[in-house]
Amino acid sequence: MSSVKQFLELLRINMGTVAARPAPVLTIVVGIACAVAVLISMLAMGVGALQQAMGDVRPDRVVVLSTGARSATESDILAEAAAAVRDIPGIRKGPDGNPLALNETVVSIAVRRKDGGARTNIVLAGAGPGLIEVRPEIRVTAGRLFRRGLHELIANEVCARLYEGFANGDKLPIRGADWTVVGQFHLSHTGGQCTLYADAAAIMSALHRDSYSQTTVLLQSPAGYASFVAALRANPTLRLQARHESEVVAENSSQLIGLLNFAGYFIGGIMAIGATLGAVNSMYAIVDGRLRELAILRAIGFASSPIVASILVESSLLALPGALLGSAVAWLFFGQMSVSPFDVTFRLAVTLPLVVLGVMWALAIGVIGGLLPALRAANAPVTKALREA
Amino acid sequence: MKYIPLIWSGIWRRGGRTLLIILQTGVAFSLFGALQGMQTGAERAIANSRGDILIVHSRERTASPLLRSQLSQIGSVPGVKAVNLENALVCTYQGPANRVIAVAINADDTFLETLPEFKVLPGQFAAFSHSRTGALVSTGLASKYGWKLGSRIPLVCTTRQSNGSPAWTFDIVGIFSHQGLMALSDLVVINNDYLDEGRLTGRGTVQHFDVVASDPRQAQTVADAIDRRFANSASETRTDSLRELAQAQMQSIGDLGFLIHAVVGAVLFALLTSIATLMMQSIRERVPELAVLRALGFSSATVFSLLLTETLTISVAAAALGLAAASVILPLAGQIAPDFSVPGISMPASVVVLGLALSLLIALLSVALPAYKTSKLEVAKTLPGQKAL
Repeated sequence: MSSVKQFLELLRINMGTVAARPAPVLTIVVGIACAVAVLISMLAMGVGALQQAMGDVRPDRVVVLSTGARSATESDILAEAAAAVRDIPGIRKGPDGNPLALNETVVSIAVRRKDGGARTNIVLAGAGPGLIEVRPEIRVTAGRLFRRGLHELIANEVCARLYEGFANGDKLPIRGADWTVVGQFHLSHTGGQCTLYADAAAIMSALHRDSYSQTTVLLQSPAGYASFVAALRANPTLRLQARHESEVVAENSSQLIGLLNFAGYFIGGIMAIGATLGAVNSMYAIVDGRLRELAILRAIGFASSPIVASILVESSLLALPGALLGSAVAWLFFGQMSVSPFDVTFRLAVTLPLVVLGVMWALAIGVIGGLLPALRAANAPVTKALREA
Repeated sequence: MKYIPLIWSGIWRRGGRTLLIILQTGVAFSLFGALQGMQTGAERAIANSRGDILIVHSRERTASPLLRSQLSQIGSVPGVKAVNLENALVCTYQGPANRVIAVAINADDTFLETLPEFKVLPGQFAAFSHSRTGALVSTGLASKYGWKLGSRIPLVCTTRQSNGSPAWTFDIVGIFSHQGLMALSDLVVINNDYLDEGRLTGRGTVQHFDVVASDPRQAQTVADAIDRRFANSASETRTDSLRELAQAQMQSIGDLGFLIHAVVGAVLFALLTSIATLMMQSIRERVPELAVLRALGFSSATVFSLLLTETLTISVAAAALGLAAASVILPLAGQIAPDFSVPGISMPASVVVLGLALSLLIALLSVALPAYKTSKLEVAKTLPGQKAL
């Protein structure tokens, strides 16, 4: 019999007798299912957070901040500088012929969390003209847009979900005056952080401010980015820095996503080690129970290598249902789950690449777990095994 | 006592298998300890965090800045031991990529009282308070940029000088270290007098005050008194203790707590399956030996308790190892992500007790059924040489 034929024959015997050894098989399947389910659901958080953050990013949108600032809250753009940005060629024109450059001034306001009641600070953006043109993903779902010059604001659905006082008609005290919530909006990718918009002029006059925090422009085409950046750099006295919207969003969410991914791989890795140890023990148990049978097979001419291969493949095949079970559990329990860690709301995303990753981990656990037992099966002295068993 | 050698030999009857079980249980409990300890430890760190250090913000944060003149008014509130102020500047050093945060403070002893973790040589702090352009830099920044005592560092900041220039120059007079929050580690501390005289806008404003209450138990009263002092003024305040701020941050973790519990559940379930099946197999293999014990006059209750003690010993010892490993990992894990970390986490005793109790329970559950079955077997039929089971 050729090695291949021996291997296939052995594999047929191994898999045919699985039902006779329910306990170790169950251990392998359950151990791997738990490890894979944990790995996939933990990583699904990072994937979900990234999908959420990048969901509304456009390649033709450019964010201008003052040099060195990472986000709007750290940035300061004087009105003259903002005006100079509007004059840079390459910016798309709106229906009224004006360049689509949106100036925003951000302030942080104190709100109360619904869960637990703690006070926390969130950002309110005062938006100049062109909000809807530059951010067409804004869809007002209830109420209406704020009016220019009035103490009115609109909120996305995350605000009402996380904090007190964001239903339509609710009043928010800012600098001694009441600001009314007049509308609710969705972005095309729901979730994320609580986002509030009011009129820039109203905010600036209420707070005696004369500078903006951020200018967002829509370019005529994504290809115009380089010349836009060059034009800004040619005028260093403005102290402004332009970056792709995707870069700014990625940088601002990188810490959260890095933390989630680290936790996923750390916890998933430890679970995998545990599952591997369990698989080693179970495969040893399976092999020990069959030492006599394997010795007989070797006595009648089966070679060692097909035995090793058949046991490795057996443990990998036992790992597969574990992986699929684990993926199914992750998908069923956490696939649609929405979480809000650190005030960022997103759905866990159990994606196909994650499932593939889970299957690979499971196969690795199976192969590593089967290695030592397979070697024992192949190397046990035939006579001893026959006598003892 | 006399059974100890018997139990010991039972434990090491299949040394390899026992070792694997110990490893697997150890891994599972190190994960349990790390996750559960992180949660409980963070809660405890918050409870222990300084309740007597109060942070005075403007009621609407960046909306309406506080005024420098409020410093002495806060200082005169009964129960206030020390007060200092902070103004943060976003700067860059030699190019936009190298971001440096400069914090302006009043260079007097109250600063060291409000920030107890801040360590600097007294001589260097004295030099700092006598030099307008002096700066204290963190050890991290000093080694990153090769700064030394006496170096002059040019920083380009979002806050401009009165001549419109964003360039500021500081003389390094000291190097500090900071135990605790890593968020403070990349910092330059400067004199608020120098900043305030030199800046173009916002002169006389303060981002927040740091206050130490003379009696920690009266901290809340002091906080309320400060806020009342400025109620209905142009610069209303909101005073929170460090502990309250930490609690708010803890609440923002939100539903992640649920996921952690799900992971811990999965870990323990996988472990239970694994140990239970191994125990079943191990006890089945030993039926003939156990029958010998019975024939020698051991009661079935004694045999049952021998088996139980073996499993309990393995399980609890392994759990103890795992929990010990977790208490080594835990303080490191608190440092992973600067903005989300809670410093000073150590393994809470309650988690160790819970872990050991769970390991007892798992051992009981996994050994009870097979050991009970075995103790009911007929001795004559299961002695060596008989056709067992």
